[in-house]
Amino acid sequence: MKKIDELNKSKLPIVKIDKSLGEYKDKILFKEKVEKANETLKKVGLPKTLRKSRT
Amino acid sequence: MLLPRYELKSDASLTVFEFTSVGKKGEISKIVQYSETNLKDFYNLGFGDKDLLTGEVDDKIVSDNGDSQKVLATVVGTVYAFTDKYPESWIYATGSTKSRTRLYRIGLTNNLDEILKDFNLYGLNKDEWQKFAKGVEYEAFLATRRSKK
Repeated sequence: MKKIDELNKSKLPIVKIDKSLGEYKDKILFKEKVEKANETLKKVGLPKTLRKSRT
Repeated sequence: MLLPRYELKSDASLTVFEFTSVGKKGEISKIVQYSETNLKDFYNLGFGDKDLLTGEVDDKIVSDNGDSQKVLATVVGTVYAFTDKYPESWIYATGSTKSRTRLYRIGLTNNLDEILKDFNLYGLNKDEWQKFAKGVEYEAFLATRRSKK
């Protein structure tokens, strides 16, 4: 079993599950940002390398 | 080198994370949320301060808690956790202001070698996605996990 110190040194962090955060699951907390992301992705599209793999 | 990070809490879906910044202004609750966009597998990374009284989240507030490196490292930690659960996902991120986007760019630049071991990273420059390069101004960032071989 890995010790806590070893786990803390991992790039993958330890995440404690907190059910109370489920209240945010279906809410968009950063609506403006999401709208901007959608606008940008619609206007600019994907990186060229990804376009090829998605077509 | 792995920078110090704050302890993370999340809901079971690993789309909403919370941690507490501890600095010169005291304890500030931070929220990171990955929201679906109109493109399949593309998620927006939102990040801001949570008002513990109202529950409202503000991504424009300047906390100035003196721990920005640790906060950014913790946000990067959420990217690892999220993309570990959703390996096909693409993460879109931008700052709420130009200066904050610049701060993110500096953070990415300072840790670029380490980041590129695990992620493909792009920057948006003049309406075009480019492979992230040091010294270039970007308006937004896009990242996906490299395939595990």
